[in-house]
Amino acid sequence: MRTSPLDSQHRQLGARMVPFGGWEMPLSYPEGTLEEHRRCRTDAVVFDVSHLGTVRVTGPGATEALQRSLSNDLGRIDVGRAQYTHLLDPHDGSVVDDLIIWWVGPDTFDVMPNASNTEPVRDALAASNVDGVSVEDTTPTRAVLAVQGPEARRRLSSVSAEAADVGRFRVAPFEFGGTTCWSAGTGYTGEDGVECAVPVEAATDFWQALLDAGISPAGLGARDTLRLEASLPLHGNELGPGITPLDAGLGWVVGWDKGDFRGRSALESARASGPARVLRGIRVEGRRPPRSGQAVRRDGRDVGVVTSGNFSPTLAAGIALAYVEPSIAVGDHVVLDVRGTEVPGTCVELPFVRRD
Amino acid sequence: MNVPEELRYSSDHEWVRVEDGRVRIGITDYAQDALGDVVFVQVPEVGAAASVGDTVGEVESTKSVSELYAPVAGTVIEVNADLESNPELLNSDPYGAGWIALVEPSDASSVGSLLDADAYRSLTEG
Repeated sequence: MRTSPLDSQHRQLGARMVPFGGWEMPLSYPEGTLEEHRRCRTDAVVFDVSHLGTVRVTGPGATEALQRSLSNDLGRIDVGRAQYTHLLDPHDGSVVDDLIIWWVGPDTFDVMPNASNTEPVRDALAASNVDGVSVEDTTPTRAVLAVQGPEARRRLSSVSAEAADVGRFRVAPFEFGGTTCWSAGTGYTGEDGVECAVPVEAATDFWQALLDAGISPAGLGARDTLRLEASLPLHGNELGPGITPLDAGLGWVVGWDKGDFRGRSALESARASGPARVLRGIRVEGRRPPRSGQAVRRDGRDVGVVTSGNFSPTLAAGIALAYVEPSIAVGDHVVLDVRGTEVPGTCVELPFVRRD
Repeated sequence: MNVPEELRYSSDHEWVRVEDGRVRIGITDYAQDALGDVVFVQVPEVGAAASVGDTVGEVESTKSVSELYAPVAGTVIEVNADLESNPELLNSDPYGAGWIALVEPSDASSVGSLLDADAYRSLTEG
């Protein structure tokens, strides 16, 4: 099991540690998931997301290698920006991983896969058959800290004004502890905020500086309830083998206007035949949390399955993302089979919770 | 971990307190800590009869679901209605305001076969 450069800091804070994607990471700190969630919606929290991978792609062929390997179009952005994109399965167009690219220099990109997908992403990029590209897994060299919440930038500015000032989906370097770090205006909570990559040797001091600035730590439990309220997909739940970006309602991630890319022809076939299912949000009556795998029914008939579900602290209600038949529309009443109990719910507009 | 001396315990991490021949039931401090933030409690139905070990309810936290098992045989005569809107009482006061059900036991002496505080403490530390 791999551990974060901040592992001993988490343990000193009394974090409950859990295995996640081959890493042992904080699930929650003593205040608990609900309080961490509330702080992120009302103030500022920091998540250690060092388990995300960093694959550095450099060289004169780097842009071309990424254009051919990943679905989104780097032609839409430029140096100093970040982009959400997918690595697709060439056979069926399903999503092997969803990831963020930081375009940090003219021929330099930091590609950030999900923890358990770092190796397949690295291998796919290395196999792009483009000359002049170097692909290196630099995950062990840095910590990544996501500072999120309406007060995230204000509190972070006392640690680094440069890190706090980076715009949404922009990427910029900043100096901390005598070393160069990177800040990106990205996140996974539905709140404003940034994610900072800090070299391992400066990680402990940076973490402590964030805590001293009144930013409280939050774990994977709150990260999941926050991203679910914001209806952001989780690979392994809403995305994965057999699920295309089109199924997930993520057609905007596909760079149809660029040239060929891995998975393109398979995805074109899927587009031509139309979606067999759609991703919908369901709000249930009452607090009972839906869970992944539970059946969705309408008029006594199975019409889909829950991919993620939990209690929404903001709405004080159970919420779920589910793949359902395309005929199931927003406003439709459905029933979830919660271990034999039928729990009524309604298909609602996404996201469940929108930032003010 | 708080394990009050005067209570009896099941190996499924429930506590029972004998009150005038009736038995009040809840989950232990150890159980609430392991579950994390409790967000929903399915309490038993008043009038329901259960044998030892029967599933009589569910406790859901932000991370998992756990079943409630009847620690003694009997009939449910009252449930904690506050849990419907305040399930977090299981976390904040598991032996008090977070009680779950009051049961009329079919055999009051069966409480004696449950674990005492020392035995339960060894179970959780083991």
